[in-house]
Amino acid sequence: MMKNAFAAVCAVSLLSAGAASANSLVAPGAHSGVAKSSIATTSTGEWNKLSRTDGPGVEVWTRDGDSLNKVSFFGGIGGGLPIYRERNKKEAPLPKVTANMLLPDIPVLLESTYRSQYQVNKFSLESQDIVTIEGKQAIRFTYSFVRSDDEVERKGEAIGSIVKGKLFMVTYEAPAIYFFDKDLQDFRKMAETLKF
Amino acid sequence: MSFCRRFSAVLPGIAALALAGAAHAVEPAAPVLPTYTAAYQPQTKDERGIWMEADEDERVLRDSVLLMRDEGLNAYVRQVLCREVGEDRCRSVRLYIVEVPQFNASMAPNGTMRVWTGLLLRVQNEAELASVLGHEFAHFELRHSLAGIKARRDAASLAAWIGVLSAGAANIGTGGAGNGSTLQLAVLGNYFKFSREQETAADLLGLQYMAKSPYDPAAASQIWQSIMAEADARSVARGLKPGREYKAAFFGTHPPSPERAAYLKAEADKLGKRGELRAQEYREAIRPFLPRLLAAQIRSNDFGGSEYLLQTLSATEGWTGDLLFARGELFRQRGNPRDLVTAADLFRDAIAKGYANPEAHRELGLSLMRGGQEADGKAALREYLKLKPDANDGNVIKMLVGS
Amino acid sequence: MKLVRNLLWLVACVMLLVSAPAAFAQEKTGSKAGFTLKPGTVRIVLMRPTIRVGSQSAGGVITPNAEWSANAREYIAKALKAQQDKLGNVVVDYDEGVTKDGAVVTQYSNLFGALADSVIEYQFFPGNRLPTKKRKGSFEWSLGNGLANLDSLKGADYALFINTYDGYGSAGRKMLQLFAAMGGISVISGVHWGHAGLIDLKTGELVWLNADRQMGGDLRTEDGAVKRVEQLLKGFPGQAAPAAPAAAPAAPAAASTATEASK
Ligand SMILES: [Zn+2]
Repeated sequence: MMKNAFAAVCAVSLLSAGAASANSLVAPGAHSGVAKSSIATTSTGEWNKLSRTDGPGVEVWTRDGDSLNKVSFFGGIGGGLPIYRERNKKEAPLPKVTANMLLPDIPVLLESTYRSQYQVNKFSLESQDIVTIEGKQAIRFTYSFVRSDDEVERKGEAIGSIVKGKLFMVTYEAPAIYFFDKDLQDFRKMAETLKF
Repeated sequence: MSFCRRFSAVLPGIAALALAGAAHAVEPAAPVLPTYTAAYQPQTKDERGIWMEADEDERVLRDSVLLMRDEGLNAYVRQVLCREVGEDRCRSVRLYIVEVPQFNASMAPNGTMRVWTGLLLRVQNEAELASVLGHEFAHFELRHSLAGIKARRDAASLAAWIGVLSAGAANIGTGGAGNGSTLQLAVLGNYFKFSREQETAADLLGLQYMAKSPYDPAAASQIWQSIMAEADARSVARGLKPGREYKAAFFGTHPPSPERAAYLKAEADKLGKRGELRAQEYREAIRPFLPRLLAAQIRSNDFGGSEYLLQTLSATEGWTGDLLFARGELFRQRGNPRDLVTAADLFRDAIAKGYANPEAHRELGLSLMRGGQEADGKAALREYLKLKPDANDGNVIKMLVGS
Repeated sequence: MKLVRNLLWLVACVMLLVSAPAAFAQEKTGSKAGFTLKPGTVRIVLMRPTIRVGSQSAGGVITPNAEWSANAREYIAKALKAQQDKLGNVVVDYDEGVTKDGAVVTQYSNLFGALADSVIEYQFFPGNRLPTKKRKGSFEWSLGNGLANLDSLKGADYALFINTYDGYGSAGRKMLQLFAAMGGISVISGVHWGHAGLIDLKTGELVWLNADRQMGGDLRTEDGAVKRVEQLLKGFPGQAAPAAPAAAPAAPAAASTATEASK
């Protein structure tokens, strides 16, 4: 019994560690090494990089807080790994990246991850297209979803690719009311200058 | 009953199972169905408060983006309820179908009934659906949400607490900060936790409805058995011990489901009545929504539970195109090399059976390509583009085909 | 039982430790730079308050409690009514009327909740403040100007949104808090979120907000609800005079901590 309790407390400490340092300013201009990876982009306007990380390969930028606008960079998630840190490995495991994933598999992975991680019960993939990033093909897709915890309708736009068996992806998500349109152009400019 | 409590926030996907239970001494054959007093109005201050709260919830529910508003589907589910409890009783219900892929239903004291889409996917026939809705209605008729209002809240024992702690540890530290507002959480859930005695009473009254309805009372026990079997399949696929979902979660304060399934069966047998299951009618009615319900299940990253469900669903009509397609998706998503082979076979099967959805060709093509069978894969993708020239992913597929 | 008494004592200590730093670290109110409201000049619509009260399990999950929520709704409504004519301007309850605005208004209400919570997390809490929100006097938050198009809000100048979300810690949660503290981590037992925000309907800007994740006032009691509403509306813009000095002298945080600890 005590062993269980102790283990649980350890789990707690692990989870809350790492949320210490402050959020930092992302000045307009060129940025490289985003999400501790080869991702590079040029931003317009100021953003904030959250000190909180949702997984070892994820970096989040926001203007007003991640529930209002959220750019997530996934910096080369390797085969066999989930894109986020799993909240409950046993009971709610997340789907894993596989090295031989095809581009159309990327939105499916995102949806499936959201359903498990964020109690998203409604998700619709709205459009899919091909874009080229440094001569390499990537999928650009748009979607909308509702998380059950706040029932705010959100829209998303993302670009993803598999490079040398690893997933590189950038997503932009914000409430459909007002916020999504507010920063969409700035996100698109970032997307245009994206390098994986 | 376990439909009666929300805790999917703790263990998504298991939702209902844990609270299953109510065993203990079941009195022999329940009394005959009492005459129903319609339009009960709240009497005390407590009751009025609860009513008001339920009204407010209903207002929020009515405006929820998760509501399935299809009139046909709503009318059908309502009709099943009405056949179960009779027109008189049915009139006091306003029914809402909410898009949540877990097994649940609930009823508030003001007459609001919520049915989650996960329930619709899991019941095999009208009789099973009727038994669940009837059980919920029984709580309503017996006014259970009011009866125990004063003296509930039992203090948790230390042992129970340790159990909660180890079970809930993975969630600690993720709540609160950074996850936006959780104000709406309650909208999907149910406020009312019923006592074991109330559960038994609702089960027994539910069986009385069934006895008077055209439905087969055996369904009440059957649904529990399949819910337990699904949970076991999920556990096994995740490398966990079967039975843990419905045994561990409530630490013996609620007896495990097998007992409930057993006494429901015994009580149903005593009624000495066989009735209709209406499985085929159920399949027909759900058919237009099945792809959507299946997609939500397949993408919930629950291989074992999904596979179990598909096997069960195939019992009525065999492996239809919808089911083959969903099963193909399930294997393609897991994506092991042998899974991709299985997935391709399933999509081919679906196509051979005349499944008209062009997506079958798309998924076949993607499975083959991912499995290294480029030429066949491209051929399937070309077929998809031919069948669906204006596909919203046309450019992506064209790129894969290389044209 | 001795063990239990010791545990309770420890729990009390831990609660002090845990809540003390949080009490002064965080701001609880903000308003748009230069925003003022003159008494008797505008019409404010009070949107339907969102009120949830439940109990918090050891795992932190909050199970709503209908009885508590129902009581809280009644008490808060009463306390709001009592305050309504002291707010300096005309405050009327939202009425959807014959419009079909319900679903949209619900989305705005949900969005307001996310917005207010974002202000708490990324502006009011200094350790976590976003660098772009740090500039002096900056308080720039908005829901966009879409509310202006709603028929059900025609003729109004401002919308007042109010949310409360309370989870009262169970015995299990309190013990967890104790264990966690022994491991050097802070786990808060009980969640008491409250938001009151004023939106300028022409621009959609959030011009004033009171918000906190550890609000005072036990909503399960009538007095508590009065206290909560006072806290929610404290410093509400446009009040004629600094209304009759609110009942008890300030320092509610310290007071509530002491009460909890002495239980
Ligand atoms: Zn029940």
